[in-house]
Amino acid sequence: MIRQFAEWLSQTSLSILIQTHNAWVIPTIQSIHIIAIGVVLTSVLMIDLRILGWAGHDQTLRETTDRFGPWLSWALLVLLVTGISMVIGEPVRALLSLSFWLKMFLVAVGTLIAAILQITLKSNEQHWEQTLVNRRSVRSLAILTLLIWVGIVILGRLIAYDYVWGSWSLKPTA
Amino acid sequence: MDITGFLASLESSSLATGIRDSLYVFPLIESLHVVGLTMVFGTMLIVDLRLLGIASIRRPFTSITSDIMKWTWASFIWTAATGVLMFVTNANVYYHNFFFRTKIVLLALAGINVLIFELTSGRTVHRWHKDAAAPLAGRTAAILSLLLWITIIVMGRWIGFTTSQSKAPLDRDINLDDLFTPPANESGSPK
Repeated sequence: MIRQFAEWLSQTSLSILIQTHNAWVIPTIQSIHIIAIGVVLTSVLMIDLRILGWAGHDQTLRETTDRFGPWLSWALLVLLVTGISMVIGEPVRALLSLSFWLKMFLVAVGTLIAAILQITLKSNEQHWEQTLVNRRSVRSLAILTLLIWVGIVILGRLIAYDYVWGSWSLKPTA
Repeated sequence: MDITGFLASLESSSLATGIRDSLYVFPLIESLHVVGLTMVFGTMLIVDLRLLGIASIRRPFTSITSDIMKWTWASFIWTAATGVLMFVTNANVYYHNFFFRTKIVLLALAGINVLIFELTSGRTVHRWHKDAAAPLAGRTAAILSLLLWITIIVMGRWIGFTTSQSKAPLDRDINLDDLFTPPANESGSPK
């Protein structure tokens, strides 16, 4: 079914438009995507380092998320738009890649964690600043979050090499 | 030894053949290169926006750099190391690639930019580190830094589209086209 959808998508006029200009459109979109990843990865890094107490000692957690939260959200939006453009431009490459679906799962988890942090921090600021940041579980979650985003970047690049998954790859074999 | 011989010896080194002989190592190195370069760019962006007076302006410049620059340098070394590993697998092709050459020149310019910053605004940092923005020399360095790093990323991505090399081993028994069908209009190495 995914395969039929990918093939249908590749015949749409928007996809054909991207395909006909793919010599420069695809690398341009990929470059913007990578730049936005840089913003996401370092925004998550700075918030997590603050939770871990490894950076931003002169800032409260709220000040740190106020600084990096909006950049994180906007960069995620840019990633969504450029990501969808790449899927439309090369549907088979993306949708039939195991790395792509693993990445989408981790993106959902990573975004959910970031959203929960932002919402609970705003509604329960004192509890976060005084108690939660010192909890081992919260600190572990900060490290896990960072690893999730690093994993997302690695899986993103591996979309181009789906054969690394061997027989788990969704790519059709001849 | 002339450059052609040098490049050939890099390509035939056990390191390069070892990477080429594996289906998995090159993609993994490339992925780790992307992790590193996005960290370099993102951390530099935080510093540059602070110099320009756009973000983190209520924190002293020196607090930002003491938090961040160690990550920038670690990521840069990481990215350079993975870059060298990719280079040796196909040294001759990369060496002659326009986008690769441009990228190296821009990296050198980014280094010179840092050096000039250190010799100008960097020297008087104690005088302005609490100001919302850096002096003109610092703001100029920040703009140049952003332009250079963005262009370096774009050049890097273009290298992947203009170098034809099987990133996987050239094993005559395995035809990679049998393992996966490349999308239409795509040829050469995985991008």
